[in-house]
Amino acid sequence: MMYDVCIIGSGAGGSPIAYELSNAGFNVLVLEKGELYDESTFSKDELAVSRRDMFTPPLKEQKHIINEYSQSGKFTRYDGEKSGWNFWNGSMVGGSSNLMSGYFHRMKPKDFELLSSYGEVKGANIVDWCITYDELEPYYDKVEKVIGVSGRIVKHKFQEPRSTPNLPYPMLETSEVTSWFDEACKDLKFTAIPTPRAVLSQNALGRDGCYYSNFCGSYGCSSGAKGSARAALLQKCDATVITDAFVYKLDSKKGKVTRAYYYTKHGVKHVINAKIFVLSAQAIESSRLLLNSKNEEFPNGMANSSGELGKNLVFSAGGAGSGRFIFENLTKEQQSALMQPGLFFNRSLQDWYDYDDGCRKYKGGTIDFLFEHQNLISRVNREMYDEEGNLLWGKKLEDKIHKRLTTSRVLTFEVFNDWLPTDNCNVAVDDEVKDKYGVPVGVINLNSHPQDLEVGEHLAKKAVEVLEKMGAVEIDYSISASPPPNLVAGGCRFGDNPRTSVLDKNCKAHDLDNLYVTDASFMPTGGSVPYTWTIYANSFRVADVIKKVLHLG
Amino acid sequence: MDYIKRRAFLKAGFLSSAVIVMNGCSVFGVTTPRDTIKVLQNDLFPKAKELGINTADYISIVLKHSRITQEDKQYLKNGVKWLNESAVDMYKKQYTKLLVQERQAVLKSFAQESWGSSWLDTILRYTFEASFGDPVYSGNNNEAGWKWLEFSGGNPRPIKVFL
Repeated sequence: MMYDVCIIGSGAGGSPIAYELSNAGFNVLVLEKGELYDESTFSKDELAVSRRDMFTPPLKEQKHIINEYSQSGKFTRYDGEKSGWNFWNGSMVGGSSNLMSGYFHRMKPKDFELLSSYGEVKGANIVDWCITYDELEPYYDKVEKVIGVSGRIVKHKFQEPRSTPNLPYPMLETSEVTSWFDEACKDLKFTAIPTPRAVLSQNALGRDGCYYSNFCGSYGCSSGAKGSARAALLQKCDATVITDAFVYKLDSKKGKVTRAYYYTKHGVKHVINAKIFVLSAQAIESSRLLLNSKNEEFPNGMANSSGELGKNLVFSAGGAGSGRFIFENLTKEQQSALMQPGLFFNRSLQDWYDYDDGCRKYKGGTIDFLFEHQNLISRVNREMYDEEGNLLWGKKLEDKIHKRLTTSRVLTFEVFNDWLPTDNCNVAVDDEVKDKYGVPVGVINLNSHPQDLEVGEHLAKKAVEVLEKMGAVEIDYSISASPPPNLVAGGCRFGDNPRTSVLDKNCKAHDLDNLYVTDASFMPTGGSVPYTWTIYANSFRVADVIKKVLHLG
Repeated sequence: MDYIKRRAFLKAGFLSSAVIVMNGCSVFGVTTPRDTIKVLQNDLFPKAKELGINTADYISIVLKHSRITQEDKQYLKNGVKWLNESAVDMYKKQYTKLLVQERQAVLKSFAQESWGSSWLDTILRYTFEASFGDPVYSGNNNEAGWKWLEFSGGNPRPIKVFL
């Protein structure tokens, strides 16, 4: 059987290709390592989802080796299994887009021209993208309509140009506490932005609207309101999806990928033939697969004639913080508003998307505000110690848990800024350690640039001002170089020069005629927003390219 | 088949298997993880019993769980031995045979050590899993834990346990 297109990975990078190409009449196969979960099988089981990581592979079977670099260039090696350091996200049909919160921000025009706009930063491999915001804008727009983005556009200093005035779906319902935030921002002269969400606020697109379950991030959506790649795309097209298919190797001949090989969990080997191969296994695993696909043509890894494969891995830099609202400081009405379950907070700030510290202009970022996750066991666990760090038990512990969980609520914030690409942040494969399939595991070399922390601090302090103004107590934050595993990009940079990039501007490998990489691997820099909207948009863009190639073919 | 049977036996027997308690270099006595953990859970979080939540039986689920490593399971048993040895050290009795005030004194001393505090932390986390997890896991009887914290859970609820 010869497929027109074989897609490896069914998440946000692969599914737009599957959707567009199969709806155009092509024969599309999607290979997914994980299982199928859908609206009928998702539940809000905290023990399974959050405590036992049911959607990611057990680390004793599949892990990474992590080398954490310090600024001096020395590194500490961590075995993912022994350390519990988990870089898996959602191993399932639709990938981690099933589990996202769906905070959807577009990248800004200057994100595509980071080098030109802000200049070189010592120790960072910053380049401009080989496409502009204007080239991607029609596809951001398409995502709004096909995936479904809800919210309301508010004019502000860094609002990116849009081809339509507003988002296609109205805002989700928000808590009354949001008005406290808006007041505080008004006083501080900050512009409160309703956070656009990839969550339908009403029935549309053949999917049910949000039912305000109180459990969004980390959980699958049981109404289909969340714009996961599965709900919004794979369930709306005829592409064939094979689950339990771990692709471990690609073969090539004369500059063309000829076959993909996959194992089932029982170790049964299968071979797939296709005219075009699209790789979208999430950034780290896509680089790993290509590095593991060495052959005579590509002795250093497939598509790696530049030696750039796996290089310039980036994450979202920044961190998180929080403040607590306590009943003692609130009226009865405010207390009741605070504890109202289900409703969203949905507020963001982008006033410092770039800023000047008096010496020079910095690329800044985004701050999203949200209520603390409703996971009850996690919230109880956070009350186990007193202020001096001593373990509590008995009545003291019970009183603390009861008071904190029933008479106060935490508002959190997340800071997103650029994780500057550096030489010591990349993907390799291990010479000795193998996974349960017998395939060399990915090595994640981690390094962060000092500027990432400076910018994160700047933004976090602005968020703290808002929480203080709102009357929150116990305000705290942590900006660190710790990488969020679900916000990862790079490793297969796109660019015009085949000597300095892995992919061309259409995300096709420079070295091969029929291999495309459409997860976040292509991104040379990550912008200062969560990546998913950009991954979707870019994948729709590449789908148009592949469509033309197949029509001509 | 024999292997599977033996594994099943080991799992079933873990909570009732003997833990040898030492007094210095000599054997002081024998206890089981189930007895000690049951008493300990009630000392750490008595609210569960008050709410009719059986936290001790939930430990059987922990020991059967495919996503909890063998090392973590063994750690549970090791801690039972450490706690009892602390009890013997202080009062020449196993933990379960002490008076309430004596057990509190043992806990206070035990929690001073980082290894003791870490183990109690682990027991508390499993106790909270039983008390505040979905009732399908057999703890959180009639949502008593949720009601105590005015929590309504999320829908849809799981229809089977994930092991």
